[in-house]
Amino acid sequence: MGNFWSGRRRHNYFHYPPPPPPPHHHHLPPPYYYSAESHPPPPPPPPSQGYFITNTYVTPPPLPAPPLPPTSHPQAHSFSYPNGYSNCPNYGNSMTGRYQYQPYYVNQGTSGWPAIRPTAGPANPPPPYVDHQAAKKVKNDVNVHKDTLRLEVDERNPDHHLVSFVFDALYDGSITIFYFAKEVETCKFIPLFPEVEPVRIPFHKGAGQNFCQTSGTGIDLGFFALDDLSKPSEGEDVFPLIICAETYSRTPSADENLSESTPDVSPNMQITQAVLEKNGSGSFQVKVVRQILWIDGARYELRELYGIGSSTAADFNDSDPGKECVICMTEPKDTAVLPCRHMCMCSECAKALRLQSNKCPICRQSIEELIEIKINNSNQ
Amino acid sequence: MANSNLPRRIIKETQRLLSEPAPGISASPSEDNMRYFNVMILGPTQSPYEGGVFKLELFLPEEYPMAAPKLGRICLDILKDKWSPALQIRTVLLSIQALLSAPNPDDPLSENIAKHWKSNEAEAVETAKEWTRLYASGA
Repeated sequence: MGNFWSGRRRHNYFHYPPPPPPPHHHHLPPPYYYSAESHPPPPPPPPSQGYFITNTYVTPPPLPAPPLPPTSHPQAHSFSYPNGYSNCPNYGNSMTGRYQYQPYYVNQGTSGWPAIRPTAGPANPPPPYVDHQAAKKVKNDVNVHKDTLRLEVDERNPDHHLVSFVFDALYDGSITIFYFAKEVETCKFIPLFPEVEPVRIPFHKGAGQNFCQTSGTGIDLGFFALDDLSKPSEGEDVFPLIICAETYSRTPSADENLSESTPDVSPNMQITQAVLEKNGSGSFQVKVVRQILWIDGARYELRELYGIGSSTAADFNDSDPGKECVICMTEPKDTAVLPCRHMCMCSECAKALRLQSNKCPICRQSIEELIEIKINNSNQ
Repeated sequence: MANSNLPRRIIKETQRLLSEPAPGISASPSEDNMRYFNVMILGPTQSPYEGGVFKLELFLPEEYPMAAPKLGRICLDILKDKWSPALQIRTVLLSIQALLSAPNPDDPLSENIAKHWKSNEAEAVETAKEWTRLYASGA
């Protein structure tokens, strides 16, 4: 089953204050990691707006000028600005050579090259801080392959459309198909049009299953305007097509008790939200807008990473250019850049890069967050 | 000395450049200084520089790959503000080879030649061919 990461919702205990919630997650559940894990509670916030303390170094807010000497800087907060970033334990390598004042190639002989000396201190102001955090690994019990989602005409009922897709499930459960529904609370959907009732179909566990809605249970899409079908509405909260894939339980032996006596167990569910576009030939094409995972009361938005497929530390081969960090070309990639989602660096190089740039090495888009993703194949 | 403590990346790049050279490009490190490369780029076919061999010197500064390789006077954005540590010696040299196929008179090294190129491209191309024959034909 797939492994997914949650960037936005990770409350890493290394940083404070917690980052402001992103605008598109309005209905967040209360923080859940501290109780669920053995992490200590977050430290109290600093007196006023601050900066993140990440794993190994203190990153100051963006400075308008080269930061030397630190004491002359009229910053409201005092922060440690160690000489030569000496608190970065592993930075004594070539990546940050500019902090090592050891020009060793002064004699270029007859090559005509001027002796290039490391500049004293950063040439540019340090880039703005970003959150550098470790990904939490979660396992989802059910996964709808979003690329396989289709709407097909019901042959026995040509006005009606049926949903089909491929999915994997670790446990028995059910699929519920909603049209124009709004998520009102955790995992509860209310259809905007009460006459369009959701269709619920149970499934058995298994990987790579074909889901085909049975004939006669489809919907007449003529009921809706094409324009409404092609986009989310009501502040992006209502989607024309929603597929909820839910597993009943992780412990099938408890089946008998499940129906009524376990009210507070939060469902494990994958929600696929899609819009429908009519293409040239008159049939509907499903476009998945996003997928959301609810696991143990936590909500995750699923996003693909570019470059993760070819990067597994376990079978890392030193001579495979697809798996190595694009910067050191030595360590396996384990750090992804957000928002562009390029998984391209090892964590050490990511930290070194952040000392002098805020651009993704692959696409040059600004780095807002770095996520370290350790893939451990032996666990699967 | 300069060759001790050579980062693994530079060693790997060098090995790959030697074992799988890009077509029309050769780059070999100096024995004295593994950060210093002698480069030869063949003039691309269908360009005025066809048949020419263009020699370059490439140097990897201490900051490399956080800083771009040094390559003398070549107007190429990736050697300046558009450098990214994901680029490599190979990609830089491929970019220079591509620049020979598609010179950019809007960002010239020589103002005069760019003016000539823009006002009379056919004539400028002839000059480029002539100079390639005179100054870049092997040996």
